[in-house]
Amino acid sequence: MMALVKRHLALYFGNKSGVFFSLLGALIAFVLYLVFLKHNMLASWSQLAAPQKLLDPWLIGGTLAVTAVTTTANGLNQMIVDRESGTLADLALTDMSFIGIQFSYLVSTVIIGTLMQLVMFAAMVGYFSLTDQFVLSLAAIVPVMGIMLLSSIVWTTFNVLILSFVTNLDSLGKIGTILGTSAGFFAGVYLPIGAVPVAAQNLMKITPFPYNAAIYRQILMADQLKTTFKQVPQLRHQFEQTLGIGIQLQHLTSWQANTLILAGFSVVFGALTLVFAKSSRRKAINKV
Amino acid sequence: MTLLTATGITKKFGTKTAVKQIDLTVQTGQLVAFLGPNGAGKSTTINLLTGTIAPTAGTIKMAGLRPDNRQYQKQIGVVFQKSVLDNQLTVWQNLKSRADMYQGVTLTPESELITAFGLTSILKQTYGTLSGGQRRRVDIARALIHQPKLLFLDEPSTGLDIQTRTVIWQTLNQLRQQQGLTIILTTHYLEEAAEADFVYVIDHGQIIAADTVEQLQATYAQSQLMIETDYPEVVLAQLAPEWRVLQTNHQLQIALPDDQQAIALLTKVQSVITHFKFRQGNMDDIFMALTGKEIR
Repeated sequence: MMALVKRHLALYFGNKSGVFFSLLGALIAFVLYLVFLKHNMLASWSQLAAPQKLLDPWLIGGTLAVTAVTTTANGLNQMIVDRESGTLADLALTDMSFIGIQFSYLVSTVIIGTLMQLVMFAAMVGYFSLTDQFVLSLAAIVPVMGIMLLSSIVWTTFNVLILSFVTNLDSLGKIGTILGTSAGFFAGVYLPIGAVPVAAQNLMKITPFPYNAAIYRQILMADQLKTTFKQVPQLRHQFEQTLGIGIQLQHLTSWQANTLILAGFSVVFGALTLVFAKSSRRKAINKV
Repeated sequence: MTLLTATGITKKFGTKTAVKQIDLTVQTGQLVAFLGPNGAGKSTTINLLTGTIAPTAGTIKMAGLRPDNRQYQKQIGVVFQKSVLDNQLTVWQNLKSRADMYQGVTLTPESELITAFGLTSILKQTYGTLSGGQRRRVDIARALIHQPKLLFLDEPSTGLDIQTRTVIWQTLNQLRQQQGLTIILTTHYLEEAAEADFVYVIDHGQIIAADTVEQLQATYAQSQLMIETDYPEVVLAQLAPEWRVLQTNHQLQIALPDDQQAIALLTKVQSVITHFKFRQGNMDDIFMALTGKEIR
């Protein structure tokens, strides 16, 4: 199993342009924000002291959620590539079970998603500490890394479910494009969740995107939220609701609730994948 | 000793029958060839025998085991028609990752497998940058990594030059002699099939002939003797009644079983012939006789 995981990782990280393109969705979200949206966002929260101290980690949170989606989608590509090229048939001849082979794709994808989020995180924290003197609280590092792992698992199961319906590389590329483009909107990076119509908000809420972004924001912004809203606590709830730092269900979701919701999504995606697995396994084998 | 038997195997894809009622037996140590045009059902037959696909009907057994059994899988190696190794990884990374997926297989750069196929110098090279022949050697090494008893080769030398083909066959023949390796191959190269101990000619998903090369030759590919003469009636009088003759003016084309008979005939009619040509029957004639068409 480790041999196969190692192979998947070597193939992913060996393809430099592939690695770059899998980060492109997240990079675009980040750059678009800096170029077009940051000014406007700062202006609309000018009544707060030093709003960039809140908005910088807010953006980091949303962008990490996007990164988790696009990199896991790319990491899983190998599964389809192997099916298409007949490599799967060769792997199936070894002592590894079919389930073991499938599992190896999941493990390598979770590793890829986590590592790539770590890279994006370091890049964004580095950028903001240079430009806005952003300081990352050390207490946030361990929980953030935990969430990176959780997001990777959630989006890996999500992408596996999507890929159950994909049989060729052509549709895989198209799905990747759709996913990369829409992720920024669903995670509330381009537009905060409070700024879109209620129908759109409801649509977002039935996906893991806003919860994933919210939990990152809750951890990364915790200290700054306390400081900024010490004087104006009545504004805090509205701020969190509008920017998707908690998601309004019955109440604003706490980070514990977000964790549970994300885990729940993962279980549902996993279960649905198993339902569809039977037909796609036959497809996988007969492909040869 | 019988290694593998298949009885009445049939494979349908939807309404299309790719393989129909195939029976075959493979003896230990044999080189068995499946000969047939493209689309005849050769690859499907191989995929059935390797357990990659399940037959619609019929049974396949090797030492009492069915193809979907792990122990069966352990005893076979497969060289696929299309390369299945990773272009971006080195030869060593490719082979090592496959070796690690088998229990009890250890591979080192000094392993005999690597030296036997002359891979030592290209171990660190990226698989995708190798020449077609080098790649094929790596493919075969991968298929033999767990020392299987039975090796399947699906169109092993398609697109390879004659030198590479020779090198590959030298190595395979060596393995057959030293380790008693059994080989089943599909091909549409007649020369390659001519090397086989036993040939199954497949067309439209069915076996249309199964025999040794010599027997097939004797039955379907008679030798051809062309004689030019001014006295055709003298020559015709000397022929055995069962020999087929084609006469055009002063030319006679005679189909006869072997060269001895040709020599005897030529000696008898030496004085009346002006010119002659002799050609032995080959796999091409066998194929023509069986399918009524040239191999595609």
